[in-house]
Amino acid sequence: MITVNGIHVTFGRGTPLEKHALRGVDLTIPEGQFVTVIGSNGAGKSTFLGALAGDVIAEEGSIAIDGVDVTRWATPKRAALVARVFQDPMVGSCTALTIEENMALAAARGRRRGLGFALRGDRRRHFRERIAELGLGLENRLHDRMGLLSGGQRQAVSLLMATLAGSKILLLDEHTAALDPGTAEFVLGLTRRIVEENRLTTLMVTHSMRQALDYGDRTVMLHEGRIVLDVSGEQRAGLDVPHLLALFAKQRGGEDITDDSLLIG
Amino acid sequence: MSEIAFFGAVEIGLVYALVALGVYLSFRVLDFPDLTVDGSFPLGAAVCATLLVAGVNPWIASLSAALAGSMAGLVTATLNVRFKILHLLASILTMIALFSVNLRVMGRPNVALLMQDTVLTPFYGLGLPDHVVRPLVVLVVVVAVVLLLSRFLNSEFGLAMRATGVNARMARAQGVQTDFHIYAGMALSNGLCALAGALFAQTNGFADVTTGIGTIVVGLAAVIVGETVLPARAMLWALVGCVVGSILYRLAVQLALSADAIGLQASDLNLVTAVLVAVALILPRMRLKAASKKREAVR
Repeated sequence: MITVNGIHVTFGRGTPLEKHALRGVDLTIPEGQFVTVIGSNGAGKSTFLGALAGDVIAEEGSIAIDGVDVTRWATPKRAALVARVFQDPMVGSCTALTIEENMALAAARGRRRGLGFALRGDRRRHFRERIAELGLGLENRLHDRMGLLSGGQRQAVSLLMATLAGSKILLLDEHTAALDPGTAEFVLGLTRRIVEENRLTTLMVTHSMRQALDYGDRTVMLHEGRIVLDVSGEQRAGLDVPHLLALFAKQRGGEDITDDSLLIG
Repeated sequence: MSEIAFFGAVEIGLVYALVALGVYLSFRVLDFPDLTVDGSFPLGAAVCATLLVAGVNPWIASLSAALAGSMAGLVTATLNVRFKILHLLASILTMIALFSVNLRVMGRPNVALLMQDTVLTPFYGLGLPDHVVRPLVVLVVVVAVVLLLSRFLNSEFGLAMRATGVNARMARAQGVQTDFHIYAGMALSNGLCALAGALFAQTNGFADVTTGIGTIVVGLAAVIVGETVLPARAMLWALVGCVVGSILYRLAVQLALSADAIGLQASDLNLVTAVLVAVALILPRMRLKAASKKREAVR
């Protein structure tokens, strides 16, 4: 469960470029819920995710994960509770390390890292079994460097890595934005499967309204650092992209949507 | 090249292999260009020599030297991590400061160790000539360090350190305390360089405050030569590459200096080193360019 209470984030405070990125966001996500987050460029989606992950520390308000106040925790400490997949496949993995080394790194998330071998026989076997589930034939390439994989393969492995340490919260930061449509479809299907199998509380930031409605059980729209729309259940089931656009326009006081990228995809 | 010159080159190559391993840790594993080694190498020599003159056990003196080097590494890491000074500049500051520190440690610019017991003393007079004993003893130390370091870098802690150097953002998202790993890696790296300094003082019979100049370039040369002759991905072989690179580099220099036809003298060493490293850095780029041109020509 994630409880966010009135968080504020400002970048470059006191400079001409000051940006009030989050202006009082409240959100409670019950355990096991899959929330999609949508919003135009600069709406604060990524900042919000960063605030949950610990990359950005909220200057006001509080964040609790499973009842623990993590507002002041830095990223490495929060990583014990939160798994993450980045937008850029290059950012989310160590390209110079092998696939199994990347997996070992992720499997130790939230644990003390000692001087025992990172890759013992039983762990290697476990990694091989897990990666075979992806159905990409990667179980025979565990010794290959991560950099040799395609963007889609890397995102698939990143998703798998997110489940290795057994944390219950998954943050997805536009993790299919850098992929071609076919591969994005595959990675999204995999996302749905992994979230269901592991019953993860999930927050997925996306640029596409279609994806936001097709995946998950609740959709939240951010605009100028605030939540302007929060739909779930039947209300959401009856929604289509045009409806969502109309709702969005209403929330913004009749303003037209100027960000084309929201409509495409 | 005479036999004595050959063994001398191997010996100095093995001593500097420890520097190469340290440089590999900072430059390659942590991606932290660290010039502290120009100060921590003579620091190791100074601490070791001073303790030997005071009658301390040679092994304890050598370990103390390594510890002193680790402290120097921690200073650089603190300047960079805690106070956000650019890594290169942070290491230069420590290096400059160490010059004064080393003078203080020794109380004078150099210390002779002619009559002192060293880690080598028990092995002299076992039947082998001295110029063979020295590289052998250093070889044992280097082999031990390579094995330990390889074991360390393959551990969970070591893997997290490698991830810190490759992709710090990802490492943090995986729960790695990247700052802590930079401290640990820098301490280890400079500890190795100081240990090299301690062995240098004991094999050569003196410690001198100026021996540090160019240490970083020599270490880097060894790492690059090693990567060229032994391109390996497995940790152990990458480390062995550093050692092999260091020895090959010394033999090449010895060859260049002893070939009268070229007309080089010992004082040209640093120039030769710098040219060698520059060439080693430029060559791969040229090869890439040539390859892409060839590809274009095929089209």
